[in-house]
Amino acid sequence: MIRTIILSTLLFGGLWAQDDLLELIQDDSDVSTPIWGTFKATRIVNAQSIEMPKPRILEFMILHRFGSMSDGFYDLFGMDEAVIRFDLKYGLNDHISLGAGRSSLNKTFDLFSKIRFLRQTKGQGSMPISIALFTKLEMQTITRDMDMPDRLTFDVQALIARKFNRSFSLQIMPTYIHRNLVLTQNEKHELISFGIGGRMKLSKRTSINFDTFFPIGDRQDSYVQSWGMGYDIETGGHVFQLMVTNAQGSFESEYVEHARGQLEDLDLYIGFNITRVFSL
Amino acid sequence: MKKNIIICLLILAPLFARNIYFTRSGKVSFFSSTPIEDIKAENEQVTCVLDLDKGEVSFRIPILGFRFRNGLMQEHFNENYMESDIHPNASFKGKINDWHEIDLTNKVRSIALEGTMTIHGVSKVISEKGNISIDNGNISGDANFQIKVADYDVKIPKILRENIAKVIDVDIQLVLKKK
Repeated sequence: MIRTIILSTLLFGGLWAQDDLLELIQDDSDVSTPIWGTFKATRIVNAQSIEMPKPRILEFMILHRFGSMSDGFYDLFGMDEAVIRFDLKYGLNDHISLGAGRSSLNKTFDLFSKIRFLRQTKGQGSMPISIALFTKLEMQTITRDMDMPDRLTFDVQALIARKFNRSFSLQIMPTYIHRNLVLTQNEKHELISFGIGGRMKLSKRTSINFDTFFPIGDRQDSYVQSWGMGYDIETGGHVFQLMVTNAQGSFESEYVEHARGQLEDLDLYIGFNITRVFSL
Repeated sequence: MKKNIIICLLILAPLFARNIYFTRSGKVSFFSSTPIEDIKAENEQVTCVLDLDKGEVSFRIPILGFRFRNGLMQEHFNENYMESDIHPNASFKGKINDWHEIDLTNKVRSIALEGTMTIHGVSKVISEKGNISIDNGNISGDANFQIKVADYDVKIPKILRENIAKVIDVDIQLVLKKK
């Protein structure tokens, strides 16, 4: 009996001590909520990020790469030349976005989709990662003696990302590229690589980003592993991404498989991406 | 043993029972208007508790619960302005002035509230006006007031100063049920 009294005193002592009314009702607010802003833009540097246009948002992106810096001041570190790609993409809902783009490199048109299957959440029953599938169809339209099927390249990527904290996010990208036409017999039609990318925020609106793709299987002798280092600046409806990279093309089969630049001769490319969103 | 505790609880319960009204689905919306753009967000996950004996009232507003029509605004709101990973909730804790002179009926009558508002981790003593009424055992409350963004250390970068109002209109609508 004494134990009961002591116990109940302890129990109710807790109740008396409550000075916040909110504690009087059971807290069931512990539901899981989605994580926002794993990356600022839909690209990390060259690589696709887990981000996609928000529902009913049309996104216009310009991806501009100057020429090689190797000639130095003579052509102002490559600024006399440019390879440019631009695209439009639209967020159908929280999971699906579709887009189309065009690059001046080989006059390549492309159609692409990003579909998010899982979204990282926090709270009860939280999901530790986000997963999306990126697919693209590329078509060269440069005047050349080629059959239509030979002009096509297919890209499939799984994007698996995690925002570890407010500053640091990491993403891995198993990538499969199929080229209908290869230039020499030594080159393969099917190429597999493993991409990794990340960002570290410097302030609320700026971050340092990187990405690279490791080849899986053999490559031709001229192959160079691609990489990019970038700096993101976000200003409301715009995101500016400044970068140095060793790949000049900014569509998948180019920046994953056809990087050419070498660090030694400063044979690298300066570039920038600009994202502008429109609310429809 | 278990039985004893339950008996104890039953005997003592009336002594501790407080006349509590509450909701977990109160509505708060805010509105920022500038010549460049209007920004509006709604939140229907507001928890509010009212102690009918003392006229004390507490709010908890989960920042992630604010829904914008434009998803990018929602992201920036959480990431850049409210920093909801560090400050997940806004709250208010206070009391209704002259509570014991207020005759709660189904006729809407105005009240004055006083207490501490905490937004973005910054607490400020405020006093605002609102309305209250009771109908079918449900207490309805609403309030309409303004918040100065700078009071709560929410920084707007220079480039966006024309897009976001310095003073935000806030609207609260609540229906409280007895606990």
